[in-house]
Amino acid sequence: MNILVCVKQVPDTTEIRIDPEKNTLIRDGVPSILNPFDGYALEAAARLKDKDPETRIVVVSMGPPQAEKALRACLAAAADRAYLVSGRAFGGSDTLATSYILASAIRTLEEREGPFDAVFCGKQAIDGDTAQVGPEIAEQLGRPQVTCALEAFAEGGGLRVHKEVEEGVEVIDVAAPCLVTFTKPAWNLRYPTIRRKLAADKAEIPVLGEDAFPAIDRTRIGLAGSPTQVKRTFVPPQKTGGVTIREEQAADAAKKLLALLDGRGVLAGGGESHGS
Amino acid sequence: MKNHILEKRYHIEIIPPRHDADDLESDLATFAEKYRRVMDSGYCVCLTDNAMGRMTFQGHEVITELGLPVEPEQVMIHLNTFHSKEQLDEILTALQALGVKYLLVVSGDGAPNMMRLTPRDLGSEGLSVTSVELLRYIRANYPGFVPGVAFNPYEPAEAEFAKMERKMAAGASFIITQPLLGRNEMFERLLAKYPDVPVIAEAWMSKRAYLLSDVVGYEIPTDAAYDPVATLKELVALYPRCGFYLSILGFKTQYPLIGDIWK
Repeated sequence: MNILVCVKQVPDTTEIRIDPEKNTLIRDGVPSILNPFDGYALEAAARLKDKDPETRIVVVSMGPPQAEKALRACLAAAADRAYLVSGRAFGGSDTLATSYILASAIRTLEEREGPFDAVFCGKQAIDGDTAQVGPEIAEQLGRPQVTCALEAFAEGGGLRVHKEVEEGVEVIDVAAPCLVTFTKPAWNLRYPTIRRKLAADKAEIPVLGEDAFPAIDRTRIGLAGSPTQVKRTFVPPQKTGGVTIREEQAADAAKKLLALLDGRGVLAGGGESHGS
Repeated sequence: MKNHILEKRYHIEIIPPRHDADDLESDLATFAEKYRRVMDSGYCVCLTDNAMGRMTFQGHEVITELGLPVEPEQVMIHLNTFHSKEQLDEILTALQALGVKYLLVVSGDGAPNMMRLTPRDLGSEGLSVTSVELLRYIRANYPGFVPGVAFNPYEPAEAEFAKMERKMAAGASFIITQPLLGRNEMFERLLAKYPDVPVIAEAWMSKRAYLLSDVVGYEIPTDAAYDPVATLKELVALYPRCGFYLSILGFKTQYPLIGDIWK
């Protein structure tokens, strides 16, 4: 199986603070990391490779030259080959433009690496949280997609995907070639070994610039090709802690809740008594 | 471990190279140099396990990769609860094969990208796994190791001593403290309570004492004067029945001095 994993380098949002005056992210001193959901996607591919060592894992990232570090982390953990899509013309792309560029990159990479049976993505990047890029890539490529997967298994030439749903897990068989986005499973991306890390540090990572996609429609990339416009950024007011009702009996809890609501005038005018 | 104290064998902490090292080759070379130097001095190398929640290569991986010697009396490996069961057994099996004898079993500092052992993994009851459950598991399944535990003299005394009782009951063979910055009453209480257990006092060898603010539970000013060598001398004089664990030791300037301090 030939698998492409799309990854993104993101700021470590656990260490991000917000400038209270400008309402912007303070990025200074914030380390960059591999988007955790992309790590789960890579681990899902690695698990397929554990079962079938013939499986090949290629990773691609669109971003500035520094994003190479995230790609090297992928090589150190599990990937066989990495590509960076980087160029000035791609800067400022929103999710639609990004998915268009990545879909173009995937077609170009298939000429080099052979057709991909599956494209794996994280369900979303922790810096933007849109969860749009993966599904949009599938649309651009015209391939079936499964979102919010926990794990994927090779099955009948395609994939059997365990997808997280509110009620539990849904099992979906999808034909190859397809795209799967991954949510957090019960495991993390495997750790690198020393040997893999040393090899990854020395690996050549080809950069695909604008020239690599001669057929790309330039009106669909970068700022000009991005219909999304940010009108305003602001910090939402913090929610207060609320009230926790810890009565052991449901009836007692209900009574307490009603008394609380009544006390705040929420029930006023309802006209009904809640005596018991 | 008693012989380490009798022979005045320092415990020297070395942090293995990080997973995200910018120049792993160079970091490995530095690690090997420090490791061999400690071994040549007859001291005990102590290798941390993802200290401060930062991902590093495991001690056994680095030792194996670099072909470093393992003398059972000269190597101690830290082991914490932030591993999957599979990783834990892999680490313990590898350490066993290398001939490592001493483990420092701690709960550890986690990070979001680390797995954590569950009670089910270790066949224990309760809601979480601490060093106590991990210690029990090691004692039951890997009896060849000599495990020690940590003592924090900055925690509320009753809770910390109750915890230590559980650690001893689970099979701890020695105790290593958090850094002592001088005379410490709670530490002295520990010595009195466990007169037959080898106790190793940690000496913080960085001049930046403020880095210990979180450990000691009060703010140490960034400009606070702290002389690590003088503190080590003080601890050696104060606590002659103890061993000494040196963290953040400067190998260029401090290392040549320590031999004369404890002899």
